[in-house]
Amino acid sequence: MNEFWDKVGELFTTPQYIDSLLHGFLLTLQISFFAILLGLVIGTIVALVDTSKHTKWTILPKAICKVYTTVIRGTPMALQLFIMFFVIFAIRGFPQIIIAILAFGFNSGAYVAEVIRSGIQSVDKGQTEAGMALGLSKTTIFRRIVAPQAIKNIIPALGNEIVTVIKETAIVSMVGMYDLNMAAKDIGSGQNMASYIVPMFVAALFYLATVYLITFGIRRIEKRLRKSEMRA
Amino acid sequence: MSEKTLEIKNLKKEFGKNKVLRGIDFTLTDKERVVILGTSGSGKSTFLRCINRMEEPTAGEIYFEGTLITDKNIQKMRQKIGMVFQHFNLINNLTVMENLTLAPVKLKLMSAEAAEKRARGLLRHIGLLNKAKAYPASLSGGQKQRIAIIRAMMMNPEVLLFDEPTSALDPESIGDVLSLIREVADMGMTIMIVTHEMGFAKEIASRVVFIDEGRIIEEGTPTEFFKHPKTPRVQEFLKKVLY
Ligand SMILES: Nc1ncnc2c1ncn2[C@@H]1O[C@H](COP(=O)(O)OP(=O)(O)OP(=O)(O)O)[C@@H](O)[C@H]1O
Ligand SMILES: [Mg+2]
Repeated sequence: MNEFWDKVGELFTTPQYIDSLLHGFLLTLQISFFAILLGLVIGTIVALVDTSKHTKWTILPKAICKVYTTVIRGTPMALQLFIMFFVIFAIRGFPQIIIAILAFGFNSGAYVAEVIRSGIQSVDKGQTEAGMALGLSKTTIFRRIVAPQAIKNIIPALGNEIVTVIKETAIVSMVGMYDLNMAAKDIGSGQNMASYIVPMFVAALFYLATVYLITFGIRRIEKRLRKSEMRA
Repeated sequence: MSEKTLEIKNLKKEFGKNKVLRGIDFTLTDKERVVILGTSGSGKSTFLRCINRMEEPTAGEIYFEGTLITDKNIQKMRQKIGMVFQHFNLINNLTVMENLTLAPVKLKLMSAEAAEKRARGLLRHIGLLNKAKAYPASLSGGQKQRIAIIRAMMMNPEVLLFDEPTSALDPESIGDVLSLIREVADMGMTIMIVTHEMGFAKEIASRVVFIDEGRIIEEGTPTEFFKHPKTPRVQEFLKKVLY
């Protein structure tokens, strides 16, 4: 057991190891951050199209969104990543990080869309009718009534999605990118520490700490949103 | 201005194959208080909800003060046709004060100050001024419904539609809500109300309308209607609800 902690110490004090680990961690954070942003943008647009009224102008956009969410949610993330890398962006010299962000962003968008759609639809119909009966416009009803209530339902589920993306980015090591997961494997390999358990243990701690921080943040936001309705 | 607040011609509403309204002709005159009765599922709510287009009519015409209601002018019309729902429908993310002032201010019917002053006056009148900053979740059903009624009054409507305003309330608060409706009626408001409170119906109605299977099959003054019902359907209905 002492040997284990000695190795942990060695990992943190050997510049080569700790640099690699932090580099990997930084890449994981970068991919996650931008993929989540992209996912939010795509997801919001898709959800708005999805929940909009049926007219002849929305048939095509609605169909596109339907195909998009079905395909993304019905195929493995790893395959989507491969398709992005080896089919769509099979261009030499194209920055890998951008391809990864696009792959995870497009993937996340489909799930975010579902989260937002169900958040909007879970707002009681009576709330919209109250606004309609007062003669308010659709835009006002959405902005002042539906959206603020939908957000309360959306935030917790969105938190889960953010956590999922962060963990899922670990598969970029399959296309040779040097993220936190890959760094752990590299540091543990024969030329380096020649032991996987320590770097992988440390990498797990990094993931856990990140996920914990995000979960904590989401909880706080949730609480604040809820409090605004309970005041007597 | 026309004496006819509402004129409804051959109103039909179908939900898929379900023919809920089968041709309703109806005129509502200024200051009338019409009580709508009928068995469950006869189409009473649908009738009211077609008037302000909470439901899109399948056929027919509705004129409000002489103007045909269309998809284009409905938003303007709704400002003058107030509605009070069975489940109150206060806006959950807004305080009581915001519920009262949102529409009149947003639609530029009043300045923010004027709206707030008016809202305060109405809240004081119903004894709920201390709830101005409260959110709906913290109110009782009776309080919510009385606020929903003054919210509709904030718009200075020409007519108020009530769809079973006391059906979701506990017995104690029904009285409070009914007296507020009575007060609104005494101010000369034109009213259409669906209710199962027969005592209240008799007292408030200037006319009673009975809907059966999507048609008006009988109407008259409360005395005529309750004392001398003409159709067997109404006789049967009254026997059930009065005893
Ligand atoms: N949005 C809807 N979609 C489909 N069917 C509907 C809808 N709203 C009402 N209906 C149907 O229309 C019929 C009449 O309903 P409505 O609510 O108008 O009756 P009601 O007279 O108000 O009854 P109650 O006294 O129970 O409130 C019912 O058969 C109902 O199932
Ligand atoms: Mg009804």
